[in-house]
Amino acid sequence: MRVLAVVVAVAALAASAQAASHAQLTVYAAASLTDVFPKIDPGEKYSFGGSNALAAQITQGAPTDVFASANMTLPLQLHAKGLCSQPVVFTRNTLVIVVPKANPAGIHNVYDLAKPGVKLVVAGPGVPVGSYTLQVLKNMNLTAAVTKNVVSQETDVREVLAKVALGEADAGFVYSTDARTVPGKVTVVKVPAWAQPKVQYGACVVTASPNKAAAQAFVTKLLGTAAQKQLLAYGFLPRVKPKK
Amino acid sequence: MRAFGLITGLAAGVALAFLALPIVAIFAHTSPGHLIHQLSNPVVRDAFVVSLKTTAIAQLLIVLLGTPAAYLLATRRFAGHWLAVTLVELPLVLPPAVAGIGLLAAFGRLGLLGGTLSALGVSLPFTQAAVTVAVAYVASPLYIRQAIAAFEATDPTLADASRTLGAGPARTFFRVVLPLARGGLAAGLALSFARGLGEFGATIMFAGSLQKVTQTLPLAIYAEFDQDFDTALAVSGVLVVVSILMLAGLRLGLSWQSSDSKTSTSLFGLSSSS
Repeated sequence: MRVLAVVVAVAALAASAQAASHAQLTVYAAASLTDVFPKIDPGEKYSFGGSNALAAQITQGAPTDVFASANMTLPLQLHAKGLCSQPVVFTRNTLVIVVPKANPAGIHNVYDLAKPGVKLVVAGPGVPVGSYTLQVLKNMNLTAAVTKNVVSQETDVREVLAKVALGEADAGFVYSTDARTVPGKVTVVKVPAWAQPKVQYGACVVTASPNKAAAQAFVTKLLGTAAQKQLLAYGFLPRVKPKK
Repeated sequence: MRAFGLITGLAAGVALAFLALPIVAIFAHTSPGHLIHQLSNPVVRDAFVVSLKTTAIAQLLIVLLGTPAAYLLATRRFAGHWLAVTLVELPLVLPPAVAGIGLLAAFGRLGLLGGTLSALGVSLPFTQAAVTVAVAYVASPLYIRQAIAAFEATDPTLADASRTLGAGPARTFFRVVLPLARGGLAAGLALSFARGLGEFGATIMFAGSLQKVTQTLPLAIYAEFDQDFDTALAVSGVLVVVSILMLAGLRLGLSWQSSDSKTSTSLFGLSSSS
């Protein structure tokens, strides 16, 4: 819904945006990038949402220039269909559990999520953070025990966060970067490093884009020092895992 | 004169084509066979059951509580009458997202009544009851508005005659007023049922979305949109068919309204466009 609203707003503004030096780009980006992308480049138009919903809109011909997904699977699928360029990894992230400050269900580790009566909110299976959540549970052998406590499958990571921050849900799986955006409302419970999925963000230039050069420049900029610095400041991980 | 006819005809043609095209497009993508096949898709079937169950219970509540409310508002004038009517109509114009936030703020765990509810051992969000509450909230105005209009349109001299002949207010209501207003009430019911079936925004915010529990048909469309566009189309097709049946029911209700009561010919004339 938020995505649609933004798309409509963008369409309405398109006519007035012609004055910009290079054509203003439309960037479809994962909901977890909501805060950091406008800091990296305030000049573009952004539409944030579940990466899978954004990919579906691109498949349906949405007019956009850049796609930045919270996984590599979706941009690779689009690339295979000839809908976007070969995607590049531009950052990484980690998964955490958030609980409301009051922690009504007493969640202190991943295993506590299996306790009877816990209201757990996750993202839908097609949403990147939703499939990462399933991977964590599989890695920890908790799939059956924990999925029975799922009370809602949300459409993107920020919806999961909102339900926990409101105190309606007892716990939810989000990226560590999302948890930082509402520090007063949620407490972070860590997911052990050995159970972490490989969370890589992929960006590509949409084939149908009329501004391919500028779109490519945007993707290149994401890999540059300034953008990487911003991403680190927001809690994202360097795009390449540092060697020990 | 001929130019006028030409222009109105052209404008009407464009308007009708514009309204028809999305519906045609849904069925152009899905063959009737695929549509029926999709009914056996567990996601679609579960969503259908959830939708039907929650909407039916919501309708029951709407009729049981909305009918007396409408009768009171139609027959009595009191201080704050306009306020009550405005309150009844408000959910019609409120964005569903606002309704969702309001329901969370009122009935959520940390909401106004959250403490009271949890003391009673009730937690609404993420339950089927929450879907029912959301549906009842957004759909009730359509019934109540229609019911007020239907009660106002009944000839008051008939009720007076019933009273002078010795029938009590309850007997008069059930034997005279209700039969006279039945067409309008049925039309209101059809409208609010259709609105309830289509409820999306308040539901996803207040009740969340989980297959078999809270995922209604519109929520299933949204969930399937990025998974399987064909399934999303098929569910949409199902809802189009149900909506058409509802409208047919509405027309039936219209013709069922007692011919001697002073009702307006278009029942839609009184309802909002939502």
